[in-house]
Amino acid sequence: MAILEAKGVTRVYETRGVETRALRGVDLAVEAGEFTALAGPSGSGKTTLLNVFGALDEPTEGSVFLDGEDLSSLSPAELAARRLHKLGFIFQAYNLIPVLSARENVEFVMELQGVAPAERRERALAVLAEVGLGELAEKRPTEMSGGQQQRVAVARAIVSRPKVVLADEPTANLDSKTASQLLDLMEQLNRDHGITFLFSTHDPLVIDKARRRVRLHDGRVVSDERA
Amino acid sequence: MPLELRLAWRNVWRNSRRTGLTVAATVFAVFLVVFFVAMAAGIHEKMIEDSVRVNSGHVTVTGEGYLENRTLEQHLVLGPELRDRLASLPGVRGHAPRVTAFGLLSKDSATQGAIVLGVDPEREGTVSTLPERLRRGRFVSDDTARGLVLGERLAENLGARVGDTLLLYSVAYSLEMAYELFEVVGVMRLPAPELDRALAVVTLADAQEFFAFGERVTEVALLAESGDRVEAVQTAARAALAGGGNGSGPVEVHAWNELMPELEQLILLDDAGMYLMLAILVVVVGFGILNTILMSVLERTRELGVLLALGLRPGAVFRLVYAESMLLAGLGLVVGMALAIPAVLWFQANPVHLGGEMAGALELFGMEPVMTWKLKPMNPIGSVMTILAVAALAAAYPAWKASRGRPVDALRSA
Ligand SMILES: Nc1ncnc2c1ncn2[C@@H]1O[C@H](COP(=O)(O)OP(=O)(O)O)[C@@H](O)[C@H]1O
Ligand SMILES: [Mg+2]
Repeated sequence: MAILEAKGVTRVYETRGVETRALRGVDLAVEAGEFTALAGPSGSGKTTLLNVFGALDEPTEGSVFLDGEDLSSLSPAELAARRLHKLGFIFQAYNLIPVLSARENVEFVMELQGVAPAERRERALAVLAEVGLGELAEKRPTEMSGGQQQRVAVARAIVSRPKVVLADEPTANLDSKTASQLLDLMEQLNRDHGITFLFSTHDPLVIDKARRRVRLHDGRVVSDERA
Repeated sequence: MPLELRLAWRNVWRNSRRTGLTVAATVFAVFLVVFFVAMAAGIHEKMIEDSVRVNSGHVTVTGEGYLENRTLEQHLVLGPELRDRLASLPGVRGHAPRVTAFGLLSKDSATQGAIVLGVDPEREGTVSTLPERLRRGRFVSDDTARGLVLGERLAENLGARVGDTLLLYSVAYSLEMAYELFEVVGVMRLPAPELDRALAVVTLADAQEFFAFGERVTEVALLAESGDRVEAVQTAARAALAGGGNGSGPVEVHAWNELMPELEQLILLDDAGMYLMLAILVVVVGFGILNTILMSVLERTRELGVLLALGLRPGAVFRLVYAESMLLAGLGLVVGMALAIPAVLWFQANPVHLGGEMAGALELFGMEPVMTWKLKPMNPIGSVMTILAVAALAAAYPAWKASRGRPVDALRSA
């Protein structure tokens, strides 16, 4: 069974009477353990699709299934709970809560889940060590580089063992070397722990690292290849 | 500490200059509120005390019908039993029996209307400040019959000096004409001009004899231990005197505000003006808090979107922003109180003596030219509750706005 599945998903934005069709009938299933890139030029609908998958936005038509459950049947509070327990998020930038240290940022999601403080701390430190930031655990985001901040975001996204991690252009604000290192880290976590990743990008170097490549164009899936 | 509160505390210190300014404004407001409320309480209590200590006492026990008519018909008999009951009331600093009546005083060709006040020379000082207000001569005493102490302006108007003999005439309780010669033994200076122009003090015994009043008195003035206890004293006096059996006719117990409604109204008016000013001040501070929190919410749209996207409930976002406002207000309250309470207590211990025009204006109202402060417990308690309530109101809109944003919209507003 697919972890995430979009069936005939259409998303139409309406701003001051102008309709934008961001997604035009997308069918896509993400299986457990996949390492998938969502590629496509700017405006092709990558962010919209990730938001719909992430229970942050609703399709105008069609349905989205997370772990076999139809998201359209859930209340906002239930959606918040699904995001908290089943999904990990990495955004393009400004992922972290500025007033919290790296460790506290990683603990944040676990705290919302009600994990006990001692266990929280232990797991946060272990994951930070795994992403290579063991030394920076007590630093605030402003004291870290962009690449380090994105690593903290990765650590936060995976620490609660979500079904799938959704990452919207996680490398867009990074130089190519740092971007490549971040992708290597994500791939390693995918391989070592079987964590499912779905990330969007329009960077060919990043696309190359994916094992499955889904291309979007004008809100439609135009190709879907596995390496 | 709950997550929201921990985040709120750190968020408050993110923009320390803005926080500092908002807190400073709150401190300023808290200080002014506590200071002015205590000043008004002090001044008003002093006004009342000054007033009752040349007039009727905090609480006055009188014969029936005293509020409508104040003649010799409204009287009571102060027997030993009644006196003992009044003396043993809790919260009473002093009690003094009196006969008040109207009379005419003449010297040579000058005649002046006068309020003739018969006092017990032993007891009067426990209630009123009349014996202390003597300028010349001595106070009336039971050792010398038919002695008279005049207000300074009354003495001037009569052209009377200590040692002069005056003719007092009036209508006695028996409705016969009463006239008698009295010797001026002293002159006193009263702060209220209308009293200074009219008051003539004699002994209670002389008054009772002059007015053919027997053992009767027109009132017994009681002085409460403090202004706060007036109501308690009034209630206790009523209870003690209820059911008669005291050898007197029916009695009434009045508080100063029934006998001097104009003074109470003056105080109420003064309070209303002050509270209006303070309310405006507090509302301005409320808008300051609203502005600070709203700005910080708008600046953090994306960050709050991330929190919501990660799974923080909208209710928790509401509480987070709410906690930030309450922390701002709370900081202002703590610092404000820490400054205001010692300041007010200092002024309470060190009254300010006024001079010049201010002093003259106050004397018109029968007040000593002294500014006093009084910190009643309700002052800081009420101030804290008011500021917290205003902060709670000011926080509602930004908190609601922050919590109802959709995370997608927030994330796009990078
Ligand atoms: N909130 C919105 N309101 C109106 N149009 C939008 C909104 N979000 C995205 N769009 C439009 O939808 C299309 C797809 O956008 P997006 O999903 O952000 O693409 P991508 O992430 O691939 O750049 C674009 O044409 C964009 O302008
Ligand atoms: Mg995008």
